[in-house]
Amino acid sequence: MQVMTDLFASIFGDSMSPTALLITGGLTMALIMSLVMALCAIVFTWLERKVAGFLQSRYGPMRVGGFHGVLQPVADMVKILGKEDIIPQDADKALFMLSPFVIFVGSLMAWAAIPFAPGFIASDLDLGLFYIFAVSSAAPAGILMAGWASNNKWALYGAARGAAQMVSYEIPLALAVIPVVMVTGSLNMNAIVEAQGGGIWNWFIFHNPFLFIGFFLYFIASIAEVNRGPFDMPETESELVAGYHTEYTGMRFAFFFLAEYANLFLVSCIATAVFLGGWQPVAGPVFAPGLVFVIKACLLVLLQMLVRWTLPRLRVDQLMHTCWKVMVPLALLCVLGSGIWMMVSGELL
Amino acid sequence: MTQYLRDVYDAVVSAFKGMRITSKHLAKKPVTLQYPDERWVLPERFKGFIVNDTWRCDACLRCAKVCPVDCIYIETVGKAKDRFMYRYAIDYNKCIWCGLCTVECPTEACQHSLDYDHSLYKRQRLVHEFVTPEKPIPCHKETRLEMGYYVPNAEEEMAKLKAKKEADAKKAAEDAAAPPPADAPDEGKGD
Repeated sequence: MQVMTDLFASIFGDSMSPTALLITGGLTMALIMSLVMALCAIVFTWLERKVAGFLQSRYGPMRVGGFHGVLQPVADMVKILGKEDIIPQDADKALFMLSPFVIFVGSLMAWAAIPFAPGFIASDLDLGLFYIFAVSSAAPAGILMAGWASNNKWALYGAARGAAQMVSYEIPLALAVIPVVMVTGSLNMNAIVEAQGGGIWNWFIFHNPFLFIGFFLYFIASIAEVNRGPFDMPETESELVAGYHTEYTGMRFAFFFLAEYANLFLVSCIATAVFLGGWQPVAGPVFAPGLVFVIKACLLVLLQMLVRWTLPRLRVDQLMHTCWKVMVPLALLCVLGSGIWMMVSGELL
Repeated sequence: MTQYLRDVYDAVVSAFKGMRITSKHLAKKPVTLQYPDERWVLPERFKGFIVNDTWRCDACLRCAKVCPVDCIYIETVGKAKDRFMYRYAIDYNKCIWCGLCTVECPTEACQHSLDYDHSLYKRQRLVHEFVTPEKPIPCHKETRLEMGYYVPNAEEEMAKLKAKKEADAKKAAEDAAAPPPADAPDEGKGD
């Protein structure tokens, strides 16, 4: 937000009080983050379909918009806006209408603490990382609301599974990030990124072998958090029987998917900030920090898409087994191992 | 405990194996042909739309009779040497592309083409008229020979026809030169 505040200060100078500068700066950042979310949804729906196509030896969309179907998301959007908005008769109307927004807002709030570039962070909280994990917990609440308000027992069933999955996987997610906090000594996102300066070998993923494993643990847990890839049992129930967004049509349905792609980019951004050096370049001085950050995050998104279109999905009991019996012990071991490594190498003194 | 560790190892290794396979496909050129810009090269005996070569067709009506869905409409007018076919139409709405008409056709007029994509907006346009009433097709062999249409073994037939014509001409000339004796009037018949 510093960048925005300075920008407004340079334009308006003394005519704006510091509070006004703060408010306008904050509002512009919020607007930019919302635009970034919308852009994510547009670009990643296209990218997903192309990647899925090429992985399956076929082209994806090719015709809409000339070159390789780049306007396909626009066509999809127009289609979905034209659909009828149906609310089931005995559904809880208020909750029904509210739940897509709860999920969306849970994602949007977390964007406030992502460090895109030095100074270009919506809110430089000292508790940045903790805030992100705390606020992403709004999503399971939204899912339960959606399932309950649909007045459909299969939707509720799917929603319960989805919420259970998201809540469970938040634990290895947070545990995998704790060694990073131990190394940096702070939860501030800017401090975490700045501590990774000086070339690729200073990135936290290469700091010690436990952090290397920690990155992969974080990656897998983040895929489960977004309800994607091999962990999309709550969603695919809608293909099989029902899922938490069965009763949703038109734009409300689109909101769920918007939130999914925004969440996808969000967890990739967190992974780049925490493990892959954020806006620090591979070597040399800092150049185009925003671009470097976005490119790294997009590569992680691409990896997530490859994983989704390759691996078969896990059954719900296999999902839970993986979380509680494999990932949580492994994450705890990583924390312990990282601590011992740091103690032995003298960092913890 | 060993089973647990083995399961974890198997899961990780198989995930990497799967990713390697799909990533290889990501780098290859897709196998899709972008229809309608790119099309598959059809084999020469491809059973496409049935077409009738009206130069060869002599209205034997075998194709119409053998068609299981009666999609060939033929109408003729006249008798013997003046017989003409003024309508030959195939209704592609009904055609099941079985090819029985091509098997039956004695002159190889009915053949499969290499066409396969004719989606239209009006189903009436899928009835194709091969013959217009302004230019009807002759059916009798001699008329066909005279008008230049296809007849099997055309030279022999032409030769035969010429011979026949000469014989007829000679007979006509003989009749003109030496008229035959007039028939004696009937006498004593039917008294």
